[in-house]
Amino acid sequence: MKSFVVARDLLREAASRRWFLALGLGITLMLVVMGLSLRMDVVDGALAATRLFGKSMNTQIRAADVALRPAFVASSYLIFYGGLLFGVVACADFGPSLLAPGRIEHLLSLPVRRFELVVGTFLGVLALALLGALYGAGGLVLIFGVKTGVFSGRLIVSALLASVTFSAIYGAMLTVAIAARSAALSAASGGALVLLGIVAGERERIAEFFDSGISRTIFRGLTLFLPRVSSLARSAGEIAGSEPVDPAALTSMLLGLVVFGLAALSLGIHLFERKDF
Amino acid sequence: MLAIEARGLRKTYGGGWPRGAGREALAGLDLSVDEGAAFGLIGLNGAGKTTFIKSLLGVVRPSAGVVRVLGKDPEDPTARAQVGYLPERLFLPHAFTPVQFLASVARLKGLPRADDEVRRQIGRVGLSGEEGRRIGGFSKGMRQRLGLAAALLGGPMLLVLDEPTDGVDPLGRAEIRRILAEERARGATLFLNSHLLSETERVCDRIGILSGGRLLREGPIETLCGSETRYRVRLAPPFDSAALAALGFRAGDGEGAFVVDAPDPTALNDLLDQARRTGARLVGLTHDVRDLEDVLAEALGQGREQGHA
Repeated sequence: MKSFVVARDLLREAASRRWFLALGLGITLMLVVMGLSLRMDVVDGALAATRLFGKSMNTQIRAADVALRPAFVASSYLIFYGGLLFGVVACADFGPSLLAPGRIEHLLSLPVRRFELVVGTFLGVLALALLGALYGAGGLVLIFGVKTGVFSGRLIVSALLASVTFSAIYGAMLTVAIAARSAALSAASGGALVLLGIVAGERERIAEFFDSGISRTIFRGLTLFLPRVSSLARSAGEIAGSEPVDPAALTSMLLGLVVFGLAALSLGIHLFERKDF
Repeated sequence: MLAIEARGLRKTYGGGWPRGAGREALAGLDLSVDEGAAFGLIGLNGAGKTTFIKSLLGVVRPSAGVVRVLGKDPEDPTARAQVGYLPERLFLPHAFTPVQFLASVARLKGLPRADDEVRRQIGRVGLSGEEGRRIGGFSKGMRQRLGLAAALLGGPMLLVLDEPTDGVDPLGRAEIRRILAEERARGATLFLNSHLLSETERVCDRIGILSGGRLLREGPIETLCGSETRYRVRLAPPFDSAALAALGFRAGDGEGAFVVDAPDPTALNDLLDQARRTGARLVGLTHDVRDLEDVLAEALGQGREQGHA
């Protein structure tokens, strides 16, 4: 499928962009600093002492896996929201770049179907999000694992959830980019979706502030189809922190996310198929 | 078989409520280009040349009419697999090397194991030794050559080239002309859009003049530019200008240059015999061929008159 060629080219292009070079360097630097400056003493499976830059960080002696949970939860939230914001800003230009004059005519003159270009761009960004999340989360898991002997894949699962959430939002960003050919509008739509998604994640609680009746119904209707960003972030934190997760609720949110992402992408493909360049 | 066929092709941009009637870029264009021909499309800016080229490639969907490329719908990927296209302003990824860029184009063209073909085309367009350099550091001419290499990948049967020599130095232009001649000899059809009329004249054997989305004139270059009944004559001095003028010889550009009209070879020979009898000696004789620029100006002038009428 030609979409994979487009996705591969997007990854190569991303590797030369300052934003992604900075992200790669930033994650690497953080992992190196953590690796060199964090000291954890484990005795019989319990975390006896933790020192960061030589300064003691905790006094309680707890099982190492239990002691690491707050760190994993904090990392999960950082990866989730940090990743979303970074992705919204750094990936906003991929759509308009695909549609740049002189590039899109050339691509469309090749034996490639139009939808393959859109799907390829989406897959490239999905791969980028997965690679970034896996590198950051995998690095942290490795560092904590080496230092404590506790290797847990939960933070990686949590990071994958963040990637999937971003991909659904990117589907809508790509559609806006196709309609408007603007990186700024694409980024603005992504930022707005993250904020609205935070609201949508708390829709049941926020709905209480509206009078019962038409205004509450309108609010519920408007937030019904939005990705539940804050709820997903919470679930990602719970997964990372080995806390119980409601599988039915998580499955429902993930299904909603997939439907939202696919619907946005389908609309983008529909617009792209009808567009003259 | 026809390489390009357009019948009643119309394209209107915009339009509809509340924007009004829209802008008509193609207004019922009819054009056929035989396989193996070298066709040049000329016209002023805004004549509809780029819109027509984009219609050939499925980049723009016509509002009405039919367009076929190598006998197929341009939307059909199997038709586009046989087309090589060089856009006027090709956007090239700065971070890629020429090899990476062409390898990507080859993959999108569905060419398996194209490494040798990529290197061959790089050498052919004169970019050997630049394989490992990033495209971001390339000059305009080098980018143009790379774009041509991308169009040539896979040996397409139709080459659609929009300003192929733009930004290329004179020697480079000659090289590109040589490559295009090779492609033609291979059996490929050339469709050229260029503002450089001299380039079009040198490469193409058929010309179409486009204005206001319509084809004003189309035909072999000799027919459009040449005259069957007008000749350029060069005479060695001394000659009697007054006597020659009386025979119908009009002074041309330069010493001893004249233009004369003769309806057939017999009449021409009679006129030359009469001129020689006045003491003139013939040293040169050619058909009177006009500049493509003159033909374009004339066609556009007639087009305007028809428009006013």
